Amino acid sequence: MLLAYLILSVALAAGVLLTQEERLMKAICWLFYGLQAAGAAWVVSCGIGRTALGFFTFDPTGALFHCLLALVSPVAFGYGLWYLDREDHGRRRLYNGLVMLLCVALTGVYYSNNIAVTWILLEATTLCTAGIIYHRRDRRSLEATWKYIFVCSVGITISYLGVLLFGGLSHGADLSYEGLARSAATANPLFLRLAFLFIVTGYSCKLEVFPLYTIGVDANMAAPAPASALVSTALVNGGFVSVLRVYRVMEPTDAFAWAFGVLVVAGIISVLAGAMFLRRTNHYKRFLSYSTVENMGIVLIGLGLGGFAAVAAVLHAAGHTLIKSSLFLQMSRIGKSYGHYQVSRIGGYMNVNRPGAVVFLVLTLLLLGFPPSPLFLSEVVIFREMAADGRWVLLAATVLILCSVMYNFARNILRLCYNPVRTVPQAEKPGYRLLIPVLLLVVSAAALGVWQPEWLARLFGAMDITIFN
Amino acid sequence: MLLALLILYVVTLVYLPITERFRNYTMIIAIQGWILLGIAMAKLHAVNLWEMLFVVTETLVFKALVVPYILLRTIRRTKINRIAASGKSQFNALVLSIAALTGSIAVTYYIADPTMDVVFFGAALYALLSGLILITVRRRIFSHMVGFLVLENGVFLFAMAVGVELPGLINIAILLDILISVLMLGVFLARISDSMKNMDTDALTSIKD
Repeated sequence: MLLAYLILSVALAAGVLLTQEERLMKAICWLFYGLQAAGAAWVVSCGIGRTALGFFTFDPTGALFHCLLALVSPVAFGYGLWYLDREDHGRRRLYNGLVMLLCVALTGVYYSNNIAVTWILLEATTLCTAGIIYHRRDRRSLEATWKYIFVCSVGITISYLGVLLFGGLSHGADLSYEGLARSAATANPLFLRLAFLFIVTGYSCKLEVFPLYTIGVDANMAAPAPASALVSTALVNGGFVSVLRVYRVMEPTDAFAWAFGVLVVAGIISVLAGAMFLRRTNHYKRFLSYSTVENMGIVLIGLGLGGFAAVAAVLHAAGHTLIKSSLFLQMSRIGKSYGHYQVSRIGGYMNVNRPGAVVFLVLTLLLLGFPPSPLFLSEVVIFREMAADGRWVLLAATVLILCSVMYNFARNILRLCYNPVRTVPQAEKPGYRLLIPVLLLVVSAAALGVWQPEWLARLFGAMDITIFN
Repeated sequence: MLLALLILYVVTLVYLPITERFRNYTMIIAIQGWILLGIAMAKLHAVNLWEMLFVVTETLVFKALVVPYILLRTIRRTKINRIAASGKSQFNALVLSIAALTGSIAVTYYIADPTMDVVFFGAALYALLSGLILITVRRRIFSHMVGFLVLENGVFLFAMAVGVELPGLINIAILLDILISVLMLGVFLARISDSMKNMDTDALTSIKD
């Protein structure tokens, strides 16, 4: 099944890269996203627990993030068609082909049960993303692409040291996460610590957390906004799933408590860095990217606390995917209306596109964790775990930093909607064809915070048992 | 034999920080490729055609021939042959490199674990640190690419130190991934030289807050 999916997906992406016909390209793309959705539906309905090709297992964690990818990617594609409508066919087909390949690589990352295969597929995402960042072919995109390839290559090389150290536990005989967990139980704790540190440091370029978070911010700035919606969510989730799987390998070892500490430190620094730059930046796409850094920092803190907070971290990542992708997609409309993303020169959007501005305000509230946002639920659980563990300093620091985040985020978004600026573009049509898919994502996000359908609750339940038994 | 090759490898790493010309960097990378070929052949457990073929492809074809060729082409295209100013930068890099060598030896003796090859571990650690020093100390973008390649060679030695033998399919995929990233780095480096006069990292500052 997976082999058929992979062959068909790569064939469709190749078809998009080769086709000269615009309509044919669109048809192939929709077929691909249909296939993606069908694949996710099949896994959720009857595929959980199965193994494919020896290197992939359809587990609840992978299925959850695959579903999110299947939900967000077609919406981003639809926005991409509109956003890049004035560009020539050659560039559009390259962009769409690379986004499709990125989705295939990410699907592989979500389901990979082998540490080396995860590494290979994450490196593949670097190559696809680099092509997407270079879409504009201007000086800024060139700089961002060079930085992205270089820093990601160095990061991925560092994480490879971790892969080798883990592989050394079984002399490369069994690189599956289950096999590694068995070998790790009796391994030298110093090597385990080093391996974990290398992997978290290396994958931080994908996860957009400290220390290599800057590269994701630069990438989101240079890439077309609909692609940023994927890079800032689905790709980040790829990094998250990879770290989560190594986290599980550490579970039965003496070094687990130490790994908790590493995650909490990386998380709190990320939250702090995100908060500081949210205040400082003058570019709306960077602004949203720093918000990703801050949110993924919270996710790492949740993982580092363990127990219910770790489940809340998964929920936080899921909710963040739906909300942040919608924000980036809405931001693409603002960018196209104003012709730039400069915070100081954009304002009065309420008069340009009232429904769009209202959706933007609702998304802001959801991102800031107001009920019924799933981020409210996850943050409350994480704070409760902090209090239960008696980590009052961490709790106070996180709450203080989040207050600063809320203030700066709300200030800039209110400025965007209401602030009078010298040049306001003409009022645009609400564009319901674009707005409705985003509204669906918004409703999904809100629903996730108060109610989960049976299949999703089952996924979370299974994850609870699988990850934190 | 193995020890002699490893010492030779370490000598190439010591030579890196005092190198001024990019052609010399390329030569060092090529020599490292040949040394790694010798080390890998000496470490082969038995004459296995598949294993030998892979080792030759990874070290000789990829590290000793293809990568230096890409570097030389980049040098020819960009027409930049020296690291920026000589003197202070080399001295600092040399001091850092010697500190890294001392640190590597100290860490190796501290870690000394029966499950890993200590000599290989020390050389790998020094190679990794040398790569990172090149990336952080040098300002020319080309030096960063060389630093990345030195890092990659260090990882190759590290794999030998921990004694990991990955399955063939995974090995090929990893090699392909690295090859494509090096190719892409080369291509984008050439594009940077086409569109920017300055090949220093100072030129890459248009993206900031």
